Amino acid sequence: MSLLEEEPFKIIDGIKFGILSPNDFRKLSVVEVQMADTYDEDGVPITSGLMDGRFGTLEPRQRCKTCGNTAARCPGHFGHIELSVPVVHVGFSKLIYKLLRVTCRNCGRLLLAENIIIEYKEKMAIQEQMLGTLSNQIFKEVEKKAIKSQTCPHCATKQLKTKFSKPTTFQEELEEGGINRLTPSMIRERLERISNDDLKVCGLDPDVARPEWMILRVLPVPPVYVRPSITLETGIRSEDDLTHKLVDILRINQRLRENIEAGAPALIVQDLSELLQYHITTYFDNEVSGIPPARHRSGRALKTLSQRLKGKEGRFRSNLSGKRVDFSARTVISPDSNLDINEVGVPIEIAKRLTVPERVTQWNIEKMKNYVINGPNNYPGALYIVRHDGKRLRLEFVTEREKIAEALQPGFIIERHIGNEDIVIFNRQPSLHRMSIMAHKVKVLPYKTFRLHLCTCPPYNADFDGDEMNLHVPQSVESQTEARLLMMVQDQILTPRYGGPIIGPIRDYITAAYVLTKKSTKLNRMEMCRLLSAANYSEKFIPEPIVKEPEQLWSGKQIFSLFIPDGLNYVSKSNLCQQCAECEYTNCPNDAYVVVKNGVLERGVIDKSSIGAEKSESLYHRIVKDYGTESGRKFLNSMCKLLTEFITMKGFTYSLDELDLSKKVLKKIDKIINKGALKVSDLISDYQQGILTRLPGQTSKESLEIYVMNELSKVRDEAGNIADESFGIENHGIIMTKTGARGSSLNIGQMTACLGQQAVRGRRIARGYKDRTLPHFQTGDLQRHAKGFIDSCYRDGLDPIEFFFHAMGGREGLVDTAVRTQQSGYMQRRLINALEYLRVENDSTVRDSEGNVIEFQYGEDGIDPAKSDHGKAVNIKQLIEMMKIMFNEGDEASEAYIKKYIKSVEKGLNPFLATELTNQILKTKLTKKAVDEIIPKIVESYNDALVEPGEAVGIIAAQSIGEPGTQMTLRTFHYAGVKEMNVTLGLPRLIEIVDARRKPSTPTMKIFLDEEHRKTKESATKVAKEIVFTTVEDLATIYIDMLKASIIVQLDASRLEDRDVLKENFEEAINIANCDINISDDHIILTPTAITDLTKLHGKVASTPIKGVSGIRRALVTKERGEWLINTDGSNLSKILKVQGVDTTRTITNDIHEISAVLGIEAARNSLIEEARSVLEEQGLDVDVRHVMLVADIMTSRGQIYQVGRHGVSGKKSSVLAKAAFEITIPTIIEAASKGTVDVFKGATESVIVGQNIPVGTGLIELYMGLKTT
Amino acid sequence: MSDRNRSKPFKHRLVPIHVIISSEEARLLLDKFRIKPSQLPIIYTSDPMAKHVKAKPGDIVKIIRKSPTAGEAIAYRYVIER
Repeated sequence: MSLLEEEPFKIIDGIKFGILSPNDFRKLSVVEVQMADTYDEDGVPITSGLMDGRFGTLEPRQRCKTCGNTAARCPGHFGHIELSVPVVHVGFSKLIYKLLRVTCRNCGRLLLAENIIIEYKEKMAIQEQMLGTLSNQIFKEVEKKAIKSQTCPHCATKQLKTKFSKPTTFQEELEEGGINRLTPSMIRERLERISNDDLKVCGLDPDVARPEWMILRVLPVPPVYVRPSITLETGIRSEDDLTHKLVDILRINQRLRENIEAGAPALIVQDLSELLQYHITTYFDNEVSGIPPARHRSGRALKTLSQRLKGKEGRFRSNLSGKRVDFSARTVISPDSNLDINEVGVPIEIAKRLTVPERVTQWNIEKMKNYVINGPNNYPGALYIVRHDGKRLRLEFVTEREKIAEALQPGFIIERHIGNEDIVIFNRQPSLHRMSIMAHKVKVLPYKTFRLHLCTCPPYNADFDGDEMNLHVPQSVESQTEARLLMMVQDQILTPRYGGPIIGPIRDYITAAYVLTKKSTKLNRMEMCRLLSAANYSEKFIPEPIVKEPEQLWSGKQIFSLFIPDGLNYVSKSNLCQQCAECEYTNCPNDAYVVVKNGVLERGVIDKSSIGAEKSESLYHRIVKDYGTESGRKFLNSMCKLLTEFITMKGFTYSLDELDLSKKVLKKIDKIINKGALKVSDLISDYQQGILTRLPGQTSKESLEIYVMNELSKVRDEAGNIADESFGIENHGIIMTKTGARGSSLNIGQMTACLGQQAVRGRRIARGYKDRTLPHFQTGDLQRHAKGFIDSCYRDGLDPIEFFFHAMGGREGLVDTAVRTQQSGYMQRRLINALEYLRVENDSTVRDSEGNVIEFQYGEDGIDPAKSDHGKAVNIKQLIEMMKIMFNEGDEASEAYIKKYIKSVEKGLNPFLATELTNQILKTKLTKKAVDEIIPKIVESYNDALVEPGEAVGIIAAQSIGEPGTQMTLRTFHYAGVKEMNVTLGLPRLIEIVDARRKPSTPTMKIFLDEEHRKTKESATKVAKEIVFTTVEDLATIYIDMLKASIIVQLDASRLEDRDVLKENFEEAINIANCDINISDDHIILTPTAITDLTKLHGKVASTPIKGVSGIRRALVTKERGEWLINTDGSNLSKILKVQGVDTTRTITNDIHEISAVLGIEAARNSLIEEARSVLEEQGLDVDVRHVMLVADIMTSRGQIYQVGRHGVSGKKSSVLAKAAFEITIPTIIEAASKGTVDVFKGATESVIVGQNIPVGTGLIELYMGLKTT
Repeated sequence: MSDRNRSKPFKHRLVPIHVIISSEEARLLLDKFRIKPSQLPIIYTSDPMAKHVKAKPGDIVKIIRKSPTAGEAIAYRYVIER
C-alpha cells in the first residue's frame, strides 16, 4: 500500500454489456429535457433545458441539484428526451435488418421449422460443451437458412422481400409490386413479437438486449460533464458539439409533436420524422456513409459520440489505454560520462518540482524538519505535509515554516523533493522494447538537461542532437521497490531479443579500448596512476611494469586487466580479425586473437567484439552473465571512466590529411574507373546493336541495366578497397572502422576514392526529362555520368550534376526512413495487441487470458532468452574451456563414468542439452575432477535460465520482432540466390508473414529433386520444362481471320522446341468444342461451327493449357550445396508434389496457406517460423527463435492460420474493451451489447482501461486469506 | 509407430509426427494441465494430417516436433470439426 492514505478501493469483476430499455432509462433519468435552450439572458440554466442544474454543475462553488455534491465529487446524472416518434439507432440498423429478414412478418417466429430450430439448439449445446464458447459461424448458418424460407413454417404467411438502404431506411417489396416503407414504429412492433427463445438461436441475449430496444423511444441526454460549455476570453459562451446536436434534436422533436398533436398531414409528419432520424443518427455517428455529416456554423463537421470514442485521438486509445500523469518531467538530454550507468542526472529545478512521499519517523524527524524549513524553493525541501487527519498543507502558502517544522510528528507524511538515490523511471519514445523504459537513481545536478551515461544510449536509441526524454517518479514504496528490483539499468543489460548485452560501450569507448590495449601502448607511472584513479581503482595490487629501464612502463593490457574479474577465462577473435585462411591463433599478426586467462588479458586487442554493446558472446557478456549484473555494472563504470580518461589523455581525431591518397593510388583508382567505363560503353554498344545476351525473363534493356549496375558497383567496390587498403592501421579512420567504433570501409572509400552509383528505387537514375535525366545530356544517353554515377569522392567534392544526383539518392533515403517507421510501427502495434495477454503459467505452459494453451513449454524448452546465453540455456563450450584451465591435473574421467553421471541428472535437463553435454565432454577428455565440477554447474545454470511464471512472454516476443523492424530495409525486391529472381524480403515480407496474406506478393517455390534428377543440370532442366505452365499463346502466334471467320494458330518451331513440346501434343491439346479443327504443316485453323464471338474464342484458344503446372510462371535451375534444384516464380504445391522427379519431402513454397492446405497446420507453423527467421537473418538481425515460435504458435493455435491483426488473433480476443481499443471500436461495442457479453478483465489492455492490476508478471500475484470458519 | 505414420505424402520435412492418443493418456494430459480439451490448440478434421491419422472430432492428437531449441518437443491438438 502506498504511504498516502488511500480509500480502500473496490475491484470490478466484470462489465456486462447490454441495451438499455426505455423504461429502465426513464427510471435512471433525473430530468426530462423539454426546452431546446441552455441558458437564459442572465446566464442561469433553464429548468428542464439542456443545462439543467440536475445534470450536475460545472460552476466551481455550486452544488449539484440532484446529489448535492460540488463539481469535483458529483458523478453527473443523465436526463432524457421523450421522442415524439420512435427512431432507429444507427449502430443497430444492420442487426435490425437481419432480424427482420429471419423472422416472420406476421407471427414473429424464426423462419425455420421447429425441428430445425431444435437441431440447431442441440448443435449449439454440443459446440458450447466442446469449445466453451459459441462461434459466430453457427449463427451465420442459422441466418442464411432462415433468410431462404419464403413462407413462415409456423403460420404459413408468405414472406415479403425486405430492403435496407443505408443508414436507417427499411422497405418492403409488395407482392403486387410497389414498395412499402417500414416506419420505425412498425419495425418496433415486429421486433416485439420475436420470442426470447428464437432470439437465442439468432445469437442475441434477450435478457439484456430485447430487439425492440434498438428502436429508440427515449433518448438519453448525457450529464454536463460530458459536454461542458466553454467560456471564451471575450465572455461568449460556446457550447459543446453534443449540446448543439441535442438542441437540434429537441427542436425537431418539439415541432414534430406539435404537428402530430395538431393533426398535420402524414407527409409533413413523415418529413419531420425523417429529419429527426437524421439528427439522431448524426448524434450517434457523424461519419455514417450515405448521409451528409452534420456541420458546425463554421463548416467544421461535428464531433459526435462515435467520433469521441474512435481512433487514435478517441477516448479508448488516448484517455483510457494511456493517460496523462503527475510526477513526471521532460527535458533535453545530454551525456555525462562521470555518472554511474544506473544514474540519471536531474536538473535541480526539476528536482524541486517532483516529490516523493516520506513518512516521518522518530529516526528521520530531524531531517524532515529541515526539509520543511527549506520549503518548496530551497533544495532539499518539501512541498506538502500530510497530517494524521489526512489534511494537506501546502508549504508554498505557509509563512512560518519553522513553526510548522516544530509541530512535525512521527506519522506525518512529507512530500519532499526528490534527491540522490531516489528511484525514478526514465523513458524515451518511441518505447519499442522494455529497455526503452528503465529505472535510474537520481543524481541532482546543476543546469537544465537530463544527463545519462553513454552506455545507456543504445537501448533508448538516444543521441544528443536535441532528443528529449521523460522521467516519472514512482510514489508508493511498492512501485519503488519493484522498479528497483526489476527495472534498474543494470538488470536490463541483457536483452531478451537475442540473449546478449544491449547496454555497453559504444563509439569512442571502443576506439579508446583498442588504442589502450594495442601492443605499442606503454604508459609511465604518472599516466598509469592517472588512469587508475580516474577509474576509481581501489585495490592495492599494482602489476609489475613490463619495462623497468630506463623508465617504468606498463602496457595498456595490464591496466585493462585490472578491471576484469579474477578467474575469468575467455578466448575469442577481435573485430580486427582478417579471417585468414589459416588462423595463427596466439601469433596473430594483428593481435586479433584475444586471450584472457584468470582475469588477465594476455593477448589480443579489445574492441567491439570484446566489449561492444549489441555483441553477444563477448568478454563483456561473459562478465555480466557469469559474475552477475552488479559486477557487470562495476566493470562498465570503471571501464568507461578509464577509457574516457585515456582517450582524453592521448587525444583522437580524424583529420583531413588522413584522407589524402598517394598519387600512385589515385592513378590506380582512375584506371579502375576508366576500365569500368569502357566495359559499360561496350555493353551499351552491344545493346544498341542488339547483340547483348538477354538474361532469362528480362528484356534486353533490363538486362543492360543489370549488367551495367553490376559493373559499376564493382568499380566502386574496387576503388574503395584500394583506397581502404592504402591506409594503415595508424590511420584514425581505419582504427574506427576496423574496431567497429563507427563507420565502415565503404564510408572511407566514398570519402577518399569514389562515391559510386546513386540509385532511386534500386535502379540507376532515370527520371527527369524525356529520355534523359538532365538537359546536359543527349537524349538516350546511357553512359554512367548521365545516369547518376559519381566518380568524385567527398574529399574532392562533387560537381553540380553529381551533386544533384546525390541529392536525389539522398532524398529517397529520407523518404524511405519515414515510410519505414510508419509501417514497422503499425506492425509492432498489431503484434503487441495480438500477444499482449500471453504469459507463462506456473506449470510452464504459455496461455492466453482464457487459459487456452498456446505453447506447452515456452519456446519448447522453457528457457528465457534474456537469461540464456545467446539463445542457449548453457554455454557448454565456454564452461568446458574454463574447466580445462582450472582442473588440468588428475586422471581423465572414463566414458562410462561421464555417461552414468549425465544419466543421473538427465531428468533435470532437456534432451538436447544432455546429448550436447555428453558429446562435448567426451570430445574434450576432461579430468574426473572437472567432470565432477562441471555437471552440477550445468544443471544449476540450466535451472537459472528457466522462465519465471508470470513472465509476459507475448509482449516480449512482439517487442523483439517489432523493434528491429525499424532497422529493416524497405526495398521490396532483392536478388536472392539467382540474380534474375525477385523475391520480396525485408520489412514488407515480414509484414506479409504476420498478415497471413492469402497470396504472397512474390510466390516462389524451391523444388528439390529426387536422386535421379538432382545430379545433372540436364535432368533438372527436363523437370523444370515439365513444370512451367505453358499455354497456346506461349508457343504460337494467334490471329483472327475475319474473312474465313476463323482463328489461325501459327506454330513457332523454335518456341516449341524451347519448351520441349511436341507438335503432336500440341495438336492434341487444342481441342475446343464446337470447332472444326484443320491441322496443316505449320498452322492450325479453327473454324467455329456456330456463329460465335471470334475475339472471345481467340482468348479461349490463347489460354488453352498445353502442359505444365498452373501458377508456375518461370522455373530456374540452380545448383545449391552440390545438387541441382529448381526455383520457381509462382507456386502450386499440391500439383508440384505430384510431378515426377520432385522430391516430395523437401520441396517448399513461401505461400503459407498452401502449405497449410497441403501439409497441414503443423507444417504451416514450421513454415511460418522458417520464413520469418530467414527474413530476419537475411537482414542481419539477431532475434531469438522463441519469439518467432510464439508468434507462429498463436497464429496457428486455432487450427487455421490467423492473421496478426483485427481479422485474426486480435479480432478473436474475448475482451470487448481490448477489441474496442484496438481498431474496430463501435461495431465491437454494439455487438457486445446485443449479445450481452461480459468482459472480465483477464487480459492486459482491458485491465489498464478499468485501472486494475494487469494479470501478468508481478500483477499476477494475489494474496488469498481463508475465511475464519466459526 | 513412426514409420507406419509417415507413409508417402507425409514424409515432408515440415510435417512432424502426429499420433492420436488414447483416452487414458488424454485424461492424464488434461489432469496434468488442469484444462478442458477445448483449451488445447486445435486441429481441424479437414487438416491433411488429421485425415491421415484418421482423427475424429473429440480426439486429441499428439505431435512430436523437431525443435531448434529443445531437440524434440511435444505438443497436443484437439480435433474438432470445422
